[in-house]
Amino acid sequence: MSIFVDADTKVICQGITGTQATFHVRRSLDYGTRFVAGVTPEKGGTTHLGLPVFNSVKEAREATGATASVMFVPAPAVKSAIKDAVEAELDLVVCIADSVPIKDMLEVRQLLRGSKTKLIGPNTPGIITPGGARLGIFPENIHQPGRIGIVSRSSTLTYEAVIETTRAGMGQSTVIGLGDDMIIGIDFVEALERFMRDDETDAVIIIGQLGGTFEEEAARWYKNLEHKKPIIGFVAGNAVPFGHKIGYAGDIITKGHITAQDKIDAMQDAGMTVVKKITAIHEELAKL
Amino acid sequence: MNIHEYQAKKILSRYGINIPKGGVAYTPNEARNVAAAVSGRGPWMLKAQIQSGARNRGYFLEKSAGNKGGIRIVKSRRDIVKEAEKMLGSTLVTMQTGPKGKLVSRLYVEAFNKVKKIFYTGMVIDRMVPAVTLLVAETKDEEIAKIALTEPEKILKIRLDLQKGAVPSQIQEVLDFLHLEPKSAHSTENFINGLHRAFVETDATMIEINPTGVLRDGRLIALDAKMSFDGNALYRHKDISRLQDDYEADDRELQAAKYKFNYSEFDGSIGCIVNGDGLAMAAMDSLNSRGVGTACFLNVKGGVDKDKIASGLKIIMTNPKVEGILVNILGGFLRCNLIADGIVSAASEVGLNVPLVVRFEGTNKDEAKEILEHSKLPIIIADDMETAVSRLVQAVEESD
Repeated sequence: MSIFVDADTKVICQGITGTQATFHVRRSLDYGTRFVAGVTPEKGGTTHLGLPVFNSVKEAREATGATASVMFVPAPAVKSAIKDAVEAELDLVVCIADSVPIKDMLEVRQLLRGSKTKLIGPNTPGIITPGGARLGIFPENIHQPGRIGIVSRSSTLTYEAVIETTRAGMGQSTVIGLGDDMIIGIDFVEALERFMRDDETDAVIIIGQLGGTFEEEAARWYKNLEHKKPIIGFVAGNAVPFGHKIGYAGDIITKGHITAQDKIDAMQDAGMTVVKKITAIHEELAKL
Repeated sequence: MNIHEYQAKKILSRYGINIPKGGVAYTPNEARNVAAAVSGRGPWMLKAQIQSGARNRGYFLEKSAGNKGGIRIVKSRRDIVKEAEKMLGSTLVTMQTGPKGKLVSRLYVEAFNKVKKIFYTGMVIDRMVPAVTLLVAETKDEEIAKIALTEPEKILKIRLDLQKGAVPSQIQEVLDFLHLEPKSAHSTENFINGLHRAFVETDATMIEINPTGVLRDGRLIALDAKMSFDGNALYRHKDISRLQDDYEADDRELQAAKYKFNYSEFDGSIGCIVNGDGLAMAAMDSLNSRGVGTACFLNVKGGVDKDKIASGLKIIMTNPKVEGILVNILGGFLRCNLIADGIVSAASEVGLNVPLVVRFEGTNKDEAKEILEHSKLPIIIADDMETAVSRLVQAVEESD
């Protein structure tokens, strides 16, 4: 099964004619991803990488039945590109761009509220279901199909987690980078809900980091969950000292200063196994 | 990006926020002239313009600056010159500047405003909601940071609608919470919604008015002001990006910013080059678990290539605290041979006088190893992060 995407998911690429998009869509096509179209405003009617290009997501969806999009548009264009995808009622949008203004993301979250569209990112390597679909920029050569789900807030540590499954002789059902930005689309809970229901996922690795309370929310949710699959967690940032900023308002919102250890405590209390070093994940996987 | 108090006040006054009369002075004489222009008689406020909170509780490194803090009340014109002489050119240390402090090169001279009450106002983005959020608290003399830790119930948090700002019921909530009189109602509404409009329209990430004062007639006044802005949105605010004060940023930080790298300095001895914040934090944690601190980390972010690595390495090598360097790059489509080329070119240009450990993950690994071996530079190659960290710690110990 996997979550969000598989080999049958019909995918479009927004901003397909750009250099990055061209490079990665070609790789994803080689990987077997079922790309059916691209969208670049004002380039509708042309073809690119053998795919028809449309002016809007709505046109692309009507012509192809696509349900998911991966977008490679530059940061200033992200807001309108997501709006386009939400209006076309896609199920999933993956936004790779970094440096998206925070205010634009506040508006994007307003758009998403009450819509059926789920957003992964921005500032994410994307989502990959090994052997099935690659929506993003993952180095596909380190992945192999398997039964471990991975969801991470840190792009680069996602790859570390994948390498750990390989060291344990296992593969991945689906790997999701939630995105490194302040405001993102789906969070741990939305990814975990699906992993817990997924027949092809036996256990999940979650990678957290300092900032926000995403890990605490995941822990609270997991603690009350009736049918739990094992979760192995890692949180980066225990050695990061407090400071380097002016004003206090940002800290007040998170009740003073939340440490990585606070997150680890909450996760352990909820029944997750939390490793101190990311390179210890494979040992915990072997114990499953 | 942060700006100075006087700049923030100027921006906020455009949104109808009431501020004391004031002006900037770079010399003691200028301070006297500004004081005369803003008010016929004292007292006046002399405020050190450095980008830090808690300036009032700070102290100057130089004895000649006297033992008062970075914000001084002055009663006579003659004292203005005297105090300005002490403060200008001296180094102010606060809880937020670190022990090195910051050089005071300009003062903001304001008319002293008598207020009958002060309170804390903050506006920030609560990323978990997400929403622009108003924070208010009655503070008197306590520090707001302490209140947040020990008595969080003393801080009122209100989520604001992105388009509408505060609605009437929320304004009433603020009035009740702060025990403000009805005659402050109108001014409070203008104040909160003025801040909100300023916040949204300038792509701010933080506004802090600490303290906010209540004048005898009930009107609110911003006695201090701090603003930070979203660096990713500066492209649409040319006027604000011009306010960037290069002096406030560390040299290496500025250099890093030129390449769009993130650079942070700490108190330890190892310099790290990584391509992600999570990776940076994990590397710091790993060093820390071996009792070794991080001197700095440089996040070169995506699209790592030869030139990025070379320029990143050069920035780190100029940090005198660095006794060893860890390069830990995990790439999507990174070709390791290009990274190796970058390392060799930087090291041969600046000279490599500390141990360097490189952890590669990507294609052309063997080719990269060959390049490094061929360079005859003392570079250690490791296969994973833990090995890299332990080899580096060992190499630094041996080189002592």
